[in-house]
Amino acid sequence: MRVGPGPDTVLDVCFDGRRVWSFWSRRDVVEAGSGRYLAAWPKALASRLKGATAVTVLPHGASGPQFAAEIAFDDSGERLAIVNASGQPLGLDKSGKLVPTFDTRTPEQSRALLDSLVVVLDELHAAGIDAFPAYGTLLGAVREQKLIGHDSDADIGYVSRHEHPADVIVESFALQRRLVGLGYATARYSGASFQVKVVEPDGFVRGLDVFGGFLAGGVLHLMGEVRVRFEREWILPLGRCTLEGRELSAPARPEKLLEAMYGPGWKVPDPAYRFETPESTVRAFNNYFRVTRARRAAWAEDHRTNRIRVRSASPSPLAEYVVAREGVPQQLIDLGAGQAVDSLWFARQGSAVVAYDYLTAPAGRARRIAEREGLSLDSRVLNFQEWRSVLSEGARIARVAGPRTLLARHLFDATPRFGTDSIARFASMATRAGGTLYADFWCAGVPEEDQPWRPVDLADVTGILERRGAHILETDEFTDPVHQDRRTGRVVALWRPASA
Amino acid sequence: MAASERVARARQALLNRAAPDLLARVHELESEVAELRQQSLRIAELADIVQELLIPMAARDQERIDALVAEYRKGL
Repeated sequence: MRVGPGPDTVLDVCFDGRRVWSFWSRRDVVEAGSGRYLAAWPKALASRLKGATAVTVLPHGASGPQFAAEIAFDDSGERLAIVNASGQPLGLDKSGKLVPTFDTRTPEQSRALLDSLVVVLDELHAAGIDAFPAYGTLLGAVREQKLIGHDSDADIGYVSRHEHPADVIVESFALQRRLVGLGYATARYSGASFQVKVVEPDGFVRGLDVFGGFLAGGVLHLMGEVRVRFEREWILPLGRCTLEGRELSAPARPEKLLEAMYGPGWKVPDPAYRFETPESTVRAFNNYFRVTRARRAAWAEDHRTNRIRVRSASPSPLAEYVVAREGVPQQLIDLGAGQAVDSLWFARQGSAVVAYDYLTAPAGRARRIAEREGLSLDSRVLNFQEWRSVLSEGARIARVAGPRTLLARHLFDATPRFGTDSIARFASMATRAGGTLYADFWCAGVPEEDQPWRPVDLADVTGILERRGAHILETDEFTDPVHQDRRTGRVVALWRPASA
Repeated sequence: MAASERVARARQALLNRAAPDLLARVHELESEVAELRQQSLRIAELADIVQELLIPMAARDQERIDALVAEYRKGL
């Protein structure tokens, strides 16, 4: 899209009269020479530009468009509709995803979120937490007393009475369990923040984020963007605000918190707002709270862009080696199963399979196929960067009778150092009745930019396993049959049954 | 050259020689701070596991322990 000269302004882009995207006319464009500027279609939108629509571009809040024309992006003759599979209209949110933003929803559709906001705030208050709407939710309440149209989720914040991050994290764990006890599905973002999933009447799952914070040394740390000098009396005692006709708690001086979150211009609506969190704050929060989520986005993207035809995919050389060496195992644990190709193959051979991964979605197709074929394939979450995940699942599976075989294909090379130790720890717990681990991993030749992989040393892996009680049966290093510029390390390790 | 200018140049030369060492020391300190900060989540995880699972395990009620382990994972 060509953008003309003029000051930096927020522009709304509408298709058939409905806003789908907003951008700043200087910040978000590239110079194309001769005083012209180009705004690239966002990735999520670019793939949807099929058909024709009335495109209007106007400054946010203005009544008259700067540009209006019927545009046909192809010659299909169809009408362009930015909707999801259920026909719900979508708009781009601040993270560049197409979601049903609040300005596409009816009051009936938004009721579930607002009800949950009240319930969750009440429950947090009952737990002794001074919680309040935060970020976009607070901004909407203070500025317009309603949900911001271009926003897509709701946010709650609180400032813990604790001052040490470890105590704040333990408290956050307990709060999440409390809300799970009310029947909410949740997902944890970090040590001090988690999401409550609210199901709206049309089935859309809306996020209600709960961000923890603490005040120490006169500095407010509030997940995920705020780390500033702040006074406790600007938060407490809590005041009130109104959102969509509901009275909610609010910080004592909401304008102080809004300025900390959005800068002095918080009163001016900006549908293309972008957080510019200082590097020192990002570093602090990453190290305090986010060490259990390394490479998560990279893995999700890798699975999205490298989809495998799971139904007909061949097993890996490692899976075939297991069977060649010991026959079809009775119990097979696939660690870092990914899209669960090997898990499905083992299940089809007759093994009872548990497929573990950081993310559950990639194994979805394998799960559905296994269910249709009547196979034994259980898919579970296991995060090797999180002790709680490793220790609790290790304790559970240690109670399941019988020896088992563990498969760890390209797992040691897919997780940070803390994770590699956790793999060995989990393996030792899962093999209390005895068992064998087979692992393949890159040990050389992986390009540095080829995230999310990193090569690991064969001796390092055997050392980690031996320190967790394994007996190394075999090691090997060979040129990878597919990526011939890479070396693959292989380890076969045995844990004998633990004495009673 | 005036005396004050000579002092300023000497001070700058000293700083230039010390700067690489100072930068290296700053990087080292940043890594140490990062490592210490990362301990917060690990300590919290252990405290949570001990509190929620291991103390009830002292009662040696295996059924209750199995139920607690299953319940604990729902809240992750």
